[in-house]
Amino acid sequence: MSGPSDQPFRRVLVANRGEIAVRIIRACHEMGMEAVAVYSDVDRTAAHVRAADSAVRLGPPPPAESYLRIDAIIEAAVSSGAEAVHPGYGFLSEREAFARAVEEAGLAWVGPPPAAIAALGDKLAARRAAKAAGVPCVPGTLEPAPVDRPDELDSILLAAREVGFPLLVKAAAGGGGRGMRRVVSPDELAGALLAGSREAASAFGDGSVYVEREIIPARHVEVQLLGDAEGTVVALGERDCSTQRRHQKLIEEAPAPGLTESDRRRLHAMAERLGAAAGLRNAATCEFLYDGDGPFWFLEVNTRLQVEHPVTELVAGVDIVQEQFRIAAGRPLSARVRAAAERAARPTSHAIELRISAEDPARVFAPSPGLITRWRMPSGPGIRVDTAVEAGDRVPAEYDPLIAKLIVHAEDREGALARLRRALDETEVGGIQTTLPFHRAMLEEPGFIDASGLSTTWVDGHWDGPAARAPWVRVALLAAGLVALEDGTTAAGPGAGEVPGRSRATGSAWRDAGRVAAIDRWPT
Amino acid sequence: MADVTPQKMVRTNGPADPIPGAGAGAFEAARERSVDVRAVRVTVAPTTRIEGDPAITVEPPPDAASVLPGDPLPAGDDPIVDGTAVHARLERFGPQRARLSLGDALGVTRAPIVLGELRVDRARGTTVREVVVHGWRIDVEIESERRALLRERARRGAGAQSHGGPLEVHAIIPGRVVAISVKPGDTIDAGGQLLVVEAMKMQNELRAPREGTIERVGVAVGQTIEVGDLLVVIT
Repeated sequence: MSGPSDQPFRRVLVANRGEIAVRIIRACHEMGMEAVAVYSDVDRTAAHVRAADSAVRLGPPPPAESYLRIDAIIEAAVSSGAEAVHPGYGFLSEREAFARAVEEAGLAWVGPPPAAIAALGDKLAARRAAKAAGVPCVPGTLEPAPVDRPDELDSILLAAREVGFPLLVKAAAGGGGRGMRRVVSPDELAGALLAGSREAASAFGDGSVYVEREIIPARHVEVQLLGDAEGTVVALGERDCSTQRRHQKLIEEAPAPGLTESDRRRLHAMAERLGAAAGLRNAATCEFLYDGDGPFWFLEVNTRLQVEHPVTELVAGVDIVQEQFRIAAGRPLSARVRAAAERAARPTSHAIELRISAEDPARVFAPSPGLITRWRMPSGPGIRVDTAVEAGDRVPAEYDPLIAKLIVHAEDREGALARLRRALDETEVGGIQTTLPFHRAMLEEPGFIDASGLSTTWVDGHWDGPAARAPWVRVALLAAGLVALEDGTTAAGPGAGEVPGRSRATGSAWRDAGRVAAIDRWPT
Repeated sequence: MADVTPQKMVRTNGPADPIPGAGAGAFEAARERSVDVRAVRVTVAPTTRIEGDPAITVEPPPDAASVLPGDPLPAGDDPIVDGTAVHARLERFGPQRARLSLGDALGVTRAPIVLGELRVDRARGTTVREVVVHGWRIDVEIESERRALLRERARRGAGAQSHGGPLEVHAIIPGRVVAISVKPGDTIDAGGQLLVVEAMKMQNELRAPREGTIERVGVAVGQTIEVGDLLVVIT
């Protein structure tokens, strides 16, 4: 597959950090391309910088002064002689202005064209496009809410009443739940619009928000699309990403459990129709809500590579990032992609991804950045780990808490679940709290095991972190106590209980310590 | 958080309360007898912030040579947890890994328990280490049981601590202050918003733990904060 003939570009700039930058650099190297990394001061020695062939400093740690600086990244790409820019996910990946700037600098943009980003990346524009393409949308408004115009509050209240409460305030430029607020009653609406708009403005530089009906319980099902310059758009299959908290995905899998072949054909066709109508090229994902037997409601399109793309790669047998580069170089969809798309409604294996994040599942998944003191990832059959950290690394507070993706692949879902349990038994992380105990618990949860409980609100309704942790606190205390007894380490420090010149004649530290204690207790 | 069924969420190879230790009553009784000089008190360290500071006392199995006339526990192989003999065995795999077996079970977890480095806190007279079990990262403080008892006696002697003084609100996550909703002199209700901290791109609203008057605001908008930084003082 690889080699000079398959090399779409000579050199590529990767405008991202963390595991996704490393994943893209790997694809570059496998295709015989050189990779240029960019970094902020806190990432100077990070894995993506080490993996790349060269690296360019962007600025101080805050994203607005580094990974969100369009001018600095274009300058880095031009001065380093890159021919293409891959944006990864997050940061500038769905910013139309960035895609345009890349193309205006004479470089290839590895993603959907700027016009498609504008048409689909803005959630409000996407809702209008879906409506025009005859794809059913989640009920809600189609224009930005007048956040800074108190005099127009009545109009949005009226619209909100039509949508019905509870509803969601969402950011037009949003993703990952940022800028999103749940509103239960009309009197909370104004405050939620303002708070959501402020968070959206901070995260995306665009404070536009709108309202949408909250559909619960529902599953989150999304379709992976690839499109080429000839206008062909195909679906590589769907994923279920229902296990979320505050609209942050925690577990993703492919295919979505419980769908029939005809469900899949219908779902994939809707996504392909919308993508083709919007002039989509390269990789994008069409998200839907699904309540089990009703329609698939169109939610939004992400005009970029998704965090969870690996589960589709494993099931479809396609390297999506490599295909992105081929498409960006102007090639038509490969025979391999077309064949995978034809098979997509009849999947023959199963993949599941766990997002290992620096978050504390006992404290409502609050960020827990810090120094990783221990890091052991699983290996063996059917295991893939996409990560960019190791022991001794500090997880910075400035960026997304995702530190690794553990992905397993097996013949079917049951096999994948068993493989995940085995993989978690091999996984050790110290120094920071991660989402691992949540994942362990989910793999024992009947509603997750048989997929009957898959719902975007399941975690918020069922997960009680402190209760799940409590028995393990007792285990930790007992283990630490027994270790301390064996080692004779208490307040005075290691070796405090030792008698000088004593030999461990009994072969048991407890018995030795007992002897010492007995000596201490008898009057001499 | 309605319909919470935590038992279901606990991995089945670890019982809901895996340690069949005695309750608080039995522990009080155990204190009456002479505590083994080797006994250790293990407490969840303040850095892990678990309500009620869970703690257990662990003593080695009473050795025939050290059992005194009148001691209620016979000699045996089981360690004493909160005054009760518990059939617990620890298997070590080097300095950083161990496996704990309880009763006839082959291991509380198949994955090893991970032990962090031991740090001596001379000021508190304790040693502190991280323990990771089932993915949960828990800092524990280890001290001699005798020292812990002395400390408790001293505290009881000093009388009950006063309540109702100024309440300091400290940062529980690192991040950047993006909004401050109060100023000195404001009155605030319990649950009222104090400030908004952005961490890892999420905005977290910080609310007042109780009602009162804002005495001081220790941070400014745009400021980067670390865990433990003083944010607001409420009187």
